[in-house]
Amino acid sequence: MSDPGGDLPHGLGADAALLAGGASLLPESARAGARSGIDPATPRALMPLARALALANRVMVGFGMLALLAASLVLTSSVVTRYLFKSSTDWQDETAVFLLVGATFLCGAFVQSIRGHVGIEAVSTLLSRRADAIRRIAVDLLCLAFCALFAWKSWTLLHEAWVDKQTTSSSWAPPLWIPYLLMSLGMTLLALQLVVHLAASVNRARAVAAGER
Amino acid sequence: MSMLAIGLLFAGVTLLFMMSGAPIAFALGAVAVVFMAFFMPAASLDTITQNVYEEMASITLLSIPLFILKGAAIGRSRAGQDLYAALHAWMSRVPGGLGIANVFACALFAAMAGSSPATCSAIGSAGIPEMRKRGYSPGFAAGIIAAGGTLGILLPPSITMILYAVAAEQSLGRLFLAGIGPGLLLVGLFAAYAVVRYRREHRNAIAAHASHGTASAMLDVDTFTLRQKVEMLPRVLPFVILLIGVMVALYGGFATPSETAGLGALLALVLIAVVYGVWRVKDVAPILSATLKESTMLMFIIGMSLLFSYVMSYLHISQSMAQWIVALQLSKWLLLAAILLLVVILGFFLPPVSIILMTAPIILPPLKTAGFDLIWFGVLMTIVMEAGLIHPPVGLNLFVIKNIAPDITLGQIIRGVLPFVVLMFVAVVLICLLPGIATALPDAVMGAVPGAR
Repeated sequence: MSDPGGDLPHGLGADAALLAGGASLLPESARAGARSGIDPATPRALMPLARALALANRVMVGFGMLALLAASLVLTSSVVTRYLFKSSTDWQDETAVFLLVGATFLCGAFVQSIRGHVGIEAVSTLLSRRADAIRRIAVDLLCLAFCALFAWKSWTLLHEAWVDKQTTSSSWAPPLWIPYLLMSLGMTLLALQLVVHLAASVNRARAVAAGER
Repeated sequence: MSMLAIGLLFAGVTLLFMMSGAPIAFALGAVAVVFMAFFMPAASLDTITQNVYEEMASITLLSIPLFILKGAAIGRSRAGQDLYAALHAWMSRVPGGLGIANVFACALFAAMAGSSPATCSAIGSAGIPEMRKRGYSPGFAAGIIAAGGTLGILLPPSITMILYAVAAEQSLGRLFLAGIGPGLLLVGLFAAYAVVRYRREHRNAIAAHASHGTASAMLDVDTFTLRQKVEMLPRVLPFVILLIGVMVALYGGFATPSETAGLGALLALVLIAVVYGVWRVKDVAPILSATLKESTMLMFIIGMSLLFSYVMSYLHISQSMAQWIVALQLSKWLLLAAILLLVVILGFFLPPVSIILMTAPIILPPLKTAGFDLIWFGVLMTIVMEAGLIHPPVGLNLFVIKNIAPDITLGQIIRGVLPFVVLMFVAVVLICLLPGIATALPDAVMGAVPGAR
């Protein structure tokens, strides 16, 4: 099980890693998990999906990297053009917003695949192994329900924006379907990733139950 | 259902979902969705995605990934060690100079990288072994680094402050400036403590030497020639120039805070490429992917926290709680103390990001009614949350130190850190007594805000 945060006190310490820079603190095991991104307890039937997601996540991280660089360039160019030509333009901010929102949503599934969305896992140390295995199923189920709903509502939002040709309210007015599409794709990948994790958690709970018998 | 019942139910469900161990982002989102489904018009569920998108699509919030990128670029290069080595050489004549060099190195690095854990590991990995080699006690060495690292969220650019500025609807530039005075105050307090503690340990070392002849490494004197000192500079200067350049761009009116983030990230990448030869895809990709991991997790929490606050405010829970606090008629300073205590307690469980976004709608209106300057309060809240990074039971920096110096026990680290926690609360009291420490600089640079206090 690759728990990001590793020997940090679970959850709580890792939460504070939110202050940035914490990623470099990951133990070796979590980095290995980050490379494959596949939970070893994944049921065989879902392995093809897990592998496809691992591949998709690698591609999305690639996009995310390019988006980060592009956003830095766009914002820098905004400073430079304002200084050189004394002209203020509004496309840079919105382009950077689209790039960074896109990077965030597209990489959501990647972060989930290494269980990198931190939570307060202090309770897990208080529970028996069996109760904890059941807790994990409940947690994955809750997350899946939420993300699936969010993904579905993203697609309906995208559809609406496409049909009504919605744009942002600025004078440049780029179409809103672009960020909505990125959000829908990302949340769908995330929901699928949670399906795989839920199945793996069920599998692990079965193994724990069998071990106790 | 009465207001109180809804409020209690909301708090209960939030606590249950958070403590279940679910990722904070999804737990907050799920609470919001459940209450939308039961207590809000049916159509509100259809707009959750639009809600989250509109809250997140703010260039100020989205500068966070770029600030993280800047920190990751500098944090992964050798800049930390070089900075530390140079300061060590220049401070070697001062008694306790090594400790001071570590505090200064932490502050400078934190200001460049904007990250507490990254500062701890970058400066600490060189600084802790060096201090111990020189006979500093392990707890003292660890305390200096753990505390120095926390300066990252007080000195600009601080991610915590970006969120506070958004949540409190205050000027980010002003808030950044307001953090500098208190940041320098803390640097001064930490350095002064380092000298006092050094003197005590030094006296003990002399006494031990006199009584049973064991010469501690603390008694050795090391000197650097001027030539050696000057040779240290070329590698450090570019980063100091980056630091100053970004500040000038921001406050000289050349760039908005978000543009500063983009500019800073790009310059940091260019600098590590030029100075350290980090430019190949295989060198840069880990920096970018670490940034994505960190920023995606953070932005999900931010997006969902905003959805959570939206529901809380739609159901009038936050307003009712704020009114209830105002109606208590607490004296001004008691109110402030109670709110800071709440922040300390929440700091045991939650990252600063969630504390700010979840509590801002509840605690800021009463503070405003009481006549407090919200910029000034933002600085206080940041210092208190900063203390949460190093105080037991869950301070992240403690565990970062444990990682880089595994043979120092957690007990030693905690004992070494506690004096610094006390110093932080001393700083909080000083800033309450002399608000100018925080507000003088922004007032001087950006002009006083009429009617702010």
